[in-house]
Amino acid sequence: MVGLSAGERQFIYGGIAQDLRSDGRQRLQFRPISVQTGVIPQANGSARATMGATDVIASIKAELGKPAPLRPDKGKVSIFIDCSPTAAPVFEGRGGEELSAELSVGLQRCLLGGKSGAGAGIDLSSLIVVEGKVCWDLYIDGLVISSDGNLLDALAAAIKAALSNTGIPKVSVSVGASGEDQPEVDVSDEEFMQFDTSGVPVVVTLTKVGRHYIVDATLEEESQMSSAVSVSVNRHGRVCGLIKRGGTGLDPSVVLDMVSVAKHASETLIAVLDSEIASAEAIDDDDAI
Amino acid sequence: MEYVNPLTGFRLDGRRPNEMRQIRGEIGVVAKADGSALFEMGNTKVIAAVYGPREVQNKGQQMDGQALVRCEYSMANFSTGDRARKSKGDRRSTEISLVIRQTMEASILTHLMPRSQIDIFLQVLQADGGTRSSCINAATLALADAGIPMRDLVTSCSAGYLCSTPLLDLNYVEDSAGGPDVTVGTLVKMDKVTLLQMDAKLPVDMFTDVLQLAIEGCKAIANYIREVLLENTKKLECMRGS
Repeated sequence: MVGLSAGERQFIYGGIAQDLRSDGRQRLQFRPISVQTGVIPQANGSARATMGATDVIASIKAELGKPAPLRPDKGKVSIFIDCSPTAAPVFEGRGGEELSAELSVGLQRCLLGGKSGAGAGIDLSSLIVVEGKVCWDLYIDGLVISSDGNLLDALAAAIKAALSNTGIPKVSVSVGASGEDQPEVDVSDEEFMQFDTSGVPVVVTLTKVGRHYIVDATLEEESQMSSAVSVSVNRHGRVCGLIKRGGTGLDPSVVLDMVSVAKHASETLIAVLDSEIASAEAIDDDDAI
Repeated sequence: MEYVNPLTGFRLDGRRPNEMRQIRGEIGVVAKADGSALFEMGNTKVIAAVYGPREVQNKGQQMDGQALVRCEYSMANFSTGDRARKSKGDRRSTEISLVIRQTMEASILTHLMPRSQIDIFLQVLQADGGTRSSCINAATLALADAGIPMRDLVTSCSAGYLCSTPLLDLNYVEDSAGGPDVTVGTLVKMDKVTLLQMDAKLPVDMFTDVLQLAIEGCKAIANYIREVLLENTKKLECMRGS
């Protein structure tokens, strides 16, 4: 990105202070969000989410695997984000690795809960087939195609949409499997189990520029941030994860204030996202018919 | 396996031997790039983004007489049927990046932009055979969208030979059948071939037939690309209010 001149920086600061940002939005207003589901036909579930000029794709593949010995009643989910060089020339070669790792870990923290698997936004126990022996491994892959700020929120929205689009094939286990061996499983081609995504949280990133916070920052606004707090909130208003980025220290009261502002902003985001996902799924169903 | 049905003459996906898959091109999909395009050939979907002409990042590579053209090809994790853990910089990607760079460089008027750099980034979203060709077609559209001067439109198509029939535009199943796969890139109006690659073996007289078929495919794609560019220009004209 080309650097900003002093005048442009002043414009951004001043606009945010007066609740009128460069594109006309208010501080707590999101850009138009659009969601398309089923964009990758060979995946179990997929979605593409755009927030303004930010464009991301999430794809979910399910494969049969063995559960971890310490958590025999839970399936496994891994999130991996990749920044495509089409989003910015700086991502070419291995340039995007740092940002990709940061986004992957951030999303894992927000969506997957603690080390024991407790508190995950995705219900891991629904992924188990035979306790201790066979479970579903979900591979969530995100790809950033175009970046105009607020990647974490866009990726979380795409993952939520992709999860609601995901169909896990029904598995029938053959009876009479002995205690030790891997049981025979028959994966159905016809029947699918739809994922329950009511518990999946959304991520709201609040970027602090000067003395005020803004929601859904563009790339230019992000370049002027002092720090940012990303809060993962679910439908019931519970905070599922928290990440603070940026070097500037924040007073604890400021952090608490940001969390409550994020919770408030998440209500509109969840409402918009749910309606977008529902209409995207409806279009999908129409096409299927 | 019956790649061409002996009774009906249809291929596995219902196409005729000299029929191409459905193609679709769209300009301006990556807002932040100087030029970008999406190109689909059947189930193969590719996004190309062009950044440039801009200042050379690595001064050691700067050329005084012409622009530096760089290209990177990457496949998404979910692009192939089995989720293969993509390793950036693996040999296949490096080779394809090199091949596409040489092909596009033949067409770009690099002497008009000395001491600058043009980056072409290709991202494969879905791979179903013919990714190389889709990438070249997408890159042509993206370069045109970026306003970079070119000698001619570069288009590419593949053709093969299975069950004693030359086949146009192979998909993944036909490509993995083990028969020859000829990929051709042409400068259409100037009627010159800039890219020619083939694997497996083919008798020379069959080769001329297959090559001719691929070149016909390239011409058809060029006509489509020209239409897409005209539509885009009309739209821009409308937006300008003239």
